Amino acid sequence: MGHTVNTSSRLEGKVGIVGWGVYVPIWRVKAIEIARMWGFPEELTKSLWIEEKAIAGEDEDTVTMGWYAAKVAIERGGIDPNEVGAVFVGTESKPYAVKPSATIIADALIDTGVKSASDIEFACRAGGEGIRDSIALVMSGMVKYALAIGSDTAQASPGDVLELTASSGAAAYVIGPEQDSIAVFEGSTVYVTDTTDFWRRDCSPYPRHGEIFTGEPAYFHHIISAAKLLFEELGLKPGDFDYAVFHQPNGKFPLQVGRMLGFPKEKLLPGIVTPWIGNTYNGSALIGLAKVLEEAKPGSRILVVTFGSGAGSDAFSIIVKEGIEERVKKGPKVIDFLERKRYVSYGEYVKSRRIISKIE
Amino acid sequence: MVRDVYILSTSMVKVDRYFNKSYKELTLDVIANVLNNGGVEYIDYVIVSTLLSDSILHQLDISTMLMQYLGLSPIPSFRVETGESSGLAAIELGFSLIASGKADSILIIGIEKLTEYPTNIVNENYSKILDYEVETIRNISPPDYAALIMKEYMKRYKVSREDLTVWPIKMHENALKNPYAQLRFKVSKEKVLNSITIAEPIKLLDTFPIGDGSAVILLGSENTLRRVSSEAVKVLHISSSTSQPLYLRDEILGFTALRNAFKRLLSRFKVNLEETLLEIHDSYSIYAYLILEELGIASKGKAYTMVSELSNVNLSGGLKARGHPFGATGIYQVCEVYSMISSKGLGELRYNGKYGLIHSMSGPDYNSRLCLLEKVM
Repeated sequence: MGHTVNTSSRLEGKVGIVGWGVYVPIWRVKAIEIARMWGFPEELTKSLWIEEKAIAGEDEDTVTMGWYAAKVAIERGGIDPNEVGAVFVGTESKPYAVKPSATIIADALIDTGVKSASDIEFACRAGGEGIRDSIALVMSGMVKYALAIGSDTAQASPGDVLELTASSGAAAYVIGPEQDSIAVFEGSTVYVTDTTDFWRRDCSPYPRHGEIFTGEPAYFHHIISAAKLLFEELGLKPGDFDYAVFHQPNGKFPLQVGRMLGFPKEKLLPGIVTPWIGNTYNGSALIGLAKVLEEAKPGSRILVVTFGSGAGSDAFSIIVKEGIEERVKKGPKVIDFLERKRYVSYGEYVKSRRIISKIE
Repeated sequence: MVRDVYILSTSMVKVDRYFNKSYKELTLDVIANVLNNGGVEYIDYVIVSTLLSDSILHQLDISTMLMQYLGLSPIPSFRVETGESSGLAAIELGFSLIASGKADSILIIGIEKLTEYPTNIVNENYSKILDYEVETIRNISPPDYAALIMKEYMKRYKVSREDLTVWPIKMHENALKNPYAQLRFKVSKEKVLNSITIAEPIKLLDTFPIGDGSAVILLGSENTLRRVSSEAVKVLHISSSTSQPLYLRDEILGFTALRNAFKRLLSRFKVNLEETLLEIHDSYSIYAYLILEELGIASKGKAYTMVSELSNVNLSGGLKARGHPFGATGIYQVCEVYSMISSKGLGELRYNGKYGLIHSMSGPDYNSRLCLLEKVM
């Protein structure tokens, strides 16, 4: 893991989070209903710790959800949207295979054409990459603010174990200079290898995965490597953090990886949202982070580690500043979205997600 | 005249998921060890035991491939496959070659590499240990049969599902002391009962985990003994038998292949099971109870009541917790018993007795094999 060039993982709080917003669709389907539909043992939902998942409605997609989260992030940050110089959308479920989702969201929020916008694809980690890129653009002075969005209407083959968790949701972060930020980045590391644990070939409607191979050599190896690198480079240990948020494909994995890294359960639970909304893929760790920001006290140190199959992880150390409570109040909270729900049947879910369709 | 056969040396890797190693590398890891300790100058044959090399590894004639990779050619080699009991079948063949005078030293390799594919593919191929044309094609898999047998056992002997959790609990406890075991953690009654249902009433924790394994045994005749530095254990006998398919059995709670193999063994050797270290094929916990009853250790329907007292059975943790890398399992069992009855030890584990008996079978006792070992000075 040694560096041959002089790079730094230390960001020294020069850049931070100015605003954030999330979106979770109102519709929920119970995991037990999916399990019964396909003959999965009911204990499986308990062992994965998944109770229900959020489903995008017929009129929702990655762009609409990402737009809403971004709008809230800008409003919460109290900034002029025209000062956002870059928009990144991390997604693996773009409405257009070719044509950026980022331009649609950017033009719905920003009046000027003087901005950069692009989609990033790295399974569930692209949102994390968007944050890293945003940090770099802000720190270099190339842009004042950057918008990093993670949004997905995750696909899973009906009957695959993935279907129990693959859900819809989005999170967005306005990244900006220290003086405008309410939480600052102390440091960031990244760890990426070519590990084919989960993939979707071109023209295939659903992803495939290597089952247990997505765990140990993929999720656990990459998260632990990125986190340990961060500890090492910042001279920190798990005890120095008040919260730890991880990518959460289910409820079990973040608890397990947190335990492996030496975090007690009470530092992990505040950032866990997947059991009630499912795995929102690019929104997963970022919605967890939003929930923690909405509960954290000034001075709290938060560890966030993303994971995307293929595979890679970004680790961030974030320190919350004074005045966080005021910024929390300026927009809808994660908890509001967790409570705002209506149940649909398996049939309604597959219809609205266009898993079944009628010929016209 | 039948010649004596000895185990000269053994070696194994921890049963685990080796995502970053090929079957060849896993074999290489164990083989150097055994050749260095075994002290033999030549090997007459190499016998490779593996179950799913054709389907999971896409490799036929795996023994030749291994000879080439390991630099062991021109030594002649075989691959042996008799379902889940392949490991003991390989030892049976090696035993016969030495006993008959055709060979003096034989290297037996057990290798199974399952983590190349997800569970459904492994299970699909594992199900081919049953009759493909009759059973597998009708979607009957080994755990389905174990479930039928378990239901009948519970009904006939009025035993509760809860009573039958004693075996996995004990095996997980035993495995804590075996450094080569795949599952080294304790389980509670609740954990067993709340684990995922495999085939009602069989739970995930009633059965073995999927894992990779590689183990080797060096067998030699008396001629090789004086050159050997490590301790030799004598292979007294290997006895094996086959049975009827489950759907043709008059009695589904009886394991007749095991019964016949044991009868044959007893006709030639006196075996006192109380003073023998036993390793039995507990692919599903219900089979452990049936095997204990078939061997006469417990009376019918009562095996679960005496599990807690058993101090000489499956000290390795059994298939349940040591793991079951199919074709390598029999080799692991023999390696473990060899280690425990000789001064080598299995980690800290040692057995203070002269005899060891290893049982391996395929499916619900479609075939059964027994291997009797004796510690010699």
